[in-house]
Amino acid sequence: MASTFTRRTALQRFAAGGAGIALGGSLLSACGSSDDGAGTGGGDGPIRIGAITDLTGAFGVVGKANQAIAEFTVGEINAAGGVLGRQLELIVVDGASDPATWGKVAQQLVSRDKVDMAIGDVTSAEREAVKSIIAGRGKTLYIAPASYEGGECYENTWTVGAVPNQQVDPTVDYLLEQGARTFYLCGNDYSYPRNVLKAARARIEQGGGEVVGEDYIPIAATDAPELVRKTISSKADAVFEVVVLPASVPYIKGVVDGGYTGLIAGTLFDETINPLFGRQAQGLIGAQDYFASIDDPFSREQVAAFHQAYPDAPFGSALNSPAWYRGLYLWKAAVETAGSLELDAVNEAMNTASAEKLIGGPSHFVPDTKHVELTMYLGEMQADGSVKVLKDLGPQEPLGQCA
Amino acid sequence: MSPETIRTIFDVASLTSILVLLVLGMAVIVGMMRVFNLCQGELVLLGAVVAYLSHRWFGSVAIGIVLAPLVVGLFGAGLERTVVRRFYANAAGALLATFAVGLLIRAIVLARMTSQGAPVPAPIEGTIAIGDARVSAWRLVIIVVVVLAVAGTYLALTRTPIGLRVRATLDDRELASAAGISTSMMFTGTYAFGAALAGLAGAMIVPLQTLYPNLGLDNLVPMFMAVMVGGLGSLHGPLLGAVAIGVPTGLLPTWIDSVLAQVLVIFAAIVFMRLRPGGLVNRDT
Repeated sequence: MASTFTRRTALQRFAAGGAGIALGGSLLSACGSSDDGAGTGGGDGPIRIGAITDLTGAFGVVGKANQAIAEFTVGEINAAGGVLGRQLELIVVDGASDPATWGKVAQQLVSRDKVDMAIGDVTSAEREAVKSIIAGRGKTLYIAPASYEGGECYENTWTVGAVPNQQVDPTVDYLLEQGARTFYLCGNDYSYPRNVLKAARARIEQGGGEVVGEDYIPIAATDAPELVRKTISSKADAVFEVVVLPASVPYIKGVVDGGYTGLIAGTLFDETINPLFGRQAQGLIGAQDYFASIDDPFSREQVAAFHQAYPDAPFGSALNSPAWYRGLYLWKAAVETAGSLELDAVNEAMNTASAEKLIGGPSHFVPDTKHVELTMYLGEMQADGSVKVLKDLGPQEPLGQCA
Repeated sequence: MSPETIRTIFDVASLTSILVLLVLGMAVIVGMMRVFNLCQGELVLLGAVVAYLSHRWFGSVAIGIVLAPLVVGLFGAGLERTVVRRFYANAAGALLATFAVGLLIRAIVLARMTSQGAPVPAPIEGTIAIGDARVSAWRLVIIVVVVLAVAGTYLALTRTPIGLRVRATLDDRELASAAGISTSMMFTGTYAFGAALAGLAGAMIVPLQTLYPNLGLDNLVPMFMAVMVGGLGSLHGPLLGAVAIGVPTGLLPTWIDSVLAQVLVIFAAIVFMRLRPGGLVNRDT
């Protein structure tokens, strides 16, 4: 049972299952597992799961977290008997934070390792680089866990992270409830922040608020003094910001220290990010599919077991950790409903797949949208980096996806 | 002056001083020594690492700021002796070798990271009032330190016997050698000095950001742009280049979109380099 899951039993059962995790996480260790080359769709050997993420480069920390939760989840599924009575074999490849490399390693997963399913994305550019290779030409089911700007409806591709409205709508509603009437919006200049702020503007105006300014800084900015100035002089009641690392640190510190007194909300705050802002994290508002402090015994047990098994790996919503867990279990549910690994059958089952026992709470695919309904939580960040849960928002539907 | 104007002037001074500080070490290594040092960003990163470790071990970032130039300077001396000196006659080799060193340093830092950034507090937190505006105390300290560091570097190179030997060595190695100067020591020492300045920069700026593996790399493009606009062969060329890049980057977003401002600055730099390939200060013609 998952509740009595420990590192030791996980490793023993995992080894007994004959599954070889690419523990080093490198291409080299993945190479070792490419022998039969025949595809496993109809066989009796292990089912091959390809995990693709960034173990090196700019997003290396995210990738290490992704690898750890993938290993943890696969180990747990194997310990509970696998899928369709077969063990899972995880093959981890490194996209090196570079979309061109993603293309290469995705090709290896499909043609050399012949995986039955692939999971993983960190940025949208990376997902774009691999979806046609894996899910298109590769005819392999592809799960994209990253929280992103929405709109991914490619064939055989299923996203399990939050889309803007799921995070933005409840957050904006809270700001309006708190009496905010004027809003300042800002972020880095690329599709994710622009789409989040588009959703924020729509919700603000729908709720009777007014957007008094909207500004963007270059995607690779490391500092943002002009944004700090514009935020403070906007005198808005609230800021909705999607400034990404590394510029988010000087931005938040600058706005708070510079004497801005309104509310500050965003989509990128959680326990793994807050410590970067120091004491200036106090009072930041955001909604996520999981916080360490949520009142859910299953999530707490699982995350405690995760930290015991992977003491050096971070776990958090901002690292997409709950989404990787969710993606693997929703796929498991779909394969079990389909009764086979046959692509069309699994796709059909994915369309209505659901799972109750997930980190962060129950989730299911909303039919014909390829996106998931999520249990969301509204949090207030604290000076020590922790999160005070203001509200259990309950299930939040993804809006306007693939309709 | 309105608080808004004061803040704008301060921000421009802050952005420009940070770029000058980052470029200072590069002005020595790339500008004066003409070594295309692609691991310059990682020397900055190492300075930030020293500040972080000093915070963890001694509870003081200030000690780290003092130690960073020493530690990174020593590292630079070792790097020059083992790697960099093999490539003085081979610019492409230097480019590749220092790129590899940078990659290695980033990978080692990444391997030790368990979050997307490790916070390092500023030795002086909070704000200071200038007129009716409140500005970051630590950014003000950086501006002062940059003025002192630039003045100190300039005086060391122009007014001291060692500085004279360094310039003689870089101008004409054979002649300097014939005059009894240990040019080998001069090259090691100059590279180490450039590395020490990079280390100082890293330790000074990391409290504004956080410690993360790409801390240096993320600044490498504006750093190289400043050196190319400023011109090779002198110390003050790259520093003027940093001012020429930093001031418009800080000022333009007051009136126009930040993204457009960045595009304009890069475009202007490219046009300038096309019209004046030697840079602002051209020692070669």
